[in-house]
Amino acid sequence: MAHPEDSSKPRLATGCRWGAESKTGSTEERTILFPEGAIKLQGTGLQVLERCDGERTFGQIIEELQAQFSVADPAKIRADISQFLEQLRNKRVVDY
Amino acid sequence: MIQGLLIEDSKALMIPNPLALIAEITHRCPLHCVYCSNPLELAAVDSELSTAEWIDIFQQSGRLGMLHAHFTGGEPLARPDLVELIAGARAAGLYTNLITSGIGLTEAKLKALVDVGLDHIQLSFQDSREDSANWIAGAKAHAHKIELSRIIRRHKIAFTVNLVIHRQNIDHLDEMIAFIEQLAPGRMEIAHTQYYGWALQNRGALLPTRAQLEKAVETVAAAETRLAGRIRLDSIVPDYYARFPKACMGGWGRRLMLINPSGKVLPCHAAEVIPGLEFENIRKQELEYIWRQSSSFQRFRGEEWMPEPCRSCERRAEDFGGCRCQALLLTGNAAATDPACSLAPAHSIVESALAEANSSAAVSQPVPAASFAQLQQRASHRWTYRTNPEKGSG
Repeated sequence: MAHPEDSSKPRLATGCRWGAESKTGSTEERTILFPEGAIKLQGTGLQVLERCDGERTFGQIIEELQAQFSVADPAKIRADISQFLEQLRNKRVVDY
Repeated sequence: MIQGLLIEDSKALMIPNPLALIAEITHRCPLHCVYCSNPLELAAVDSELSTAEWIDIFQQSGRLGMLHAHFTGGEPLARPDLVELIAGARAAGLYTNLITSGIGLTEAKLKALVDVGLDHIQLSFQDSREDSANWIAGAKAHAHKIELSRIIRRHKIAFTVNLVIHRQNIDHLDEMIAFIEQLAPGRMEIAHTQYYGWALQNRGALLPTRAQLEKAVETVAAAETRLAGRIRLDSIVPDYYARFPKACMGGWGRRLMLINPSGKVLPCHAAEVIPGLEFENIRKQELEYIWRQSSSFQRFRGEEWMPEPCRSCERRAEDFGGCRCQALLLTGNAAATDPACSLAPAHSIVESALAEANSSAAVSQPVPAASFAQLQQRASHRWTYRTNPEKGSG
């Protein structure tokens, strides 16, 4: 199982957690802390990870973001988010 | 369209804040590993920082923008106040990582640590084979570590298994990876020995042959693919065999601060070997001052100090001229290009160590497990075990 499936429930992997909130200019940022590293998130990345709460399914997350970014190609949104989550899973930051 | 800046990959920061604190809380250790990265001169027990001093350091670290606190030693569990220290680091907003041999860790102690917010535990193994593992560690620790990893899996905490590889165990790397796999950590770190401190003393017995190394690289690559999504595999390559040097600590004074058991603030584990540098003590100076203004942290920061061929090298912002301590240890000059670099004027020093490693025919085999005293005696012709710090002053 490489890509998340529609029924997968993405969540932060064990031992990964949110760090402090901050701002760069007017852009809101949040950090995810994990063993040996951290990811600073803003914009879409932040929107995706904030929805990876272990309750929403991947399908729901995609729908919510497709609705929010209705000008973008829905297929591209799906592909981008799927790839993003798979990368984070390989880093053991996200599980699904 | 996905925006996520990986801080670990970020290169653009001009005058960055430090990212992580390495808290070397004691040099006491129940193991005697022949490749220990601690300095040969260990900090005495009665010079160790107090609980309150460490908690103040964590507060300062949080204010300075650090994200992680790595608890190491020696063996951090040798400090009876470890639970308070982890709690103090968490309260300062830091992600807490315990790097441990597991000796002295019971389930009750682990639970207490997790309850106050320990985020990550990194358990070191010396081998998959018990006799060989105990031979390297100079202590009977292997069976306990296996039991402990079962306990760790029952808690909500990130779990890394760390394995140091070298000439004596590299031939059965496959077996060691399979062994770690069944311990089911989230992350596996396979590190080739780095030649500082005790490991440099014992280099002749530890440096692998080129054939051993090439086979190991293939083994690691195959394991990485096979384990993807289950266990993250991070490997550290041996710089002696590389074309270019490692970006040691991500560059001098660029990302990390290390505080030793007696409060000395260093840019890395080995920096004390460099003569002529005055290292500040946290008992006398604020952490922020030390980071921004101390002469020791500024000494090799940036590019001003660089000799040729580093100064005009296009890789200078990637590897920062390699490791200052290795330059000192091998050439006698801390400001020389790291001899591990194939472009370094002193590269022949590394080449001759490699020639020696590749000339001796057989890889010596471990002696059977025994008491530390017996091990020490039997292996004395081969290497020096790490000792322990003085109990009293001095």
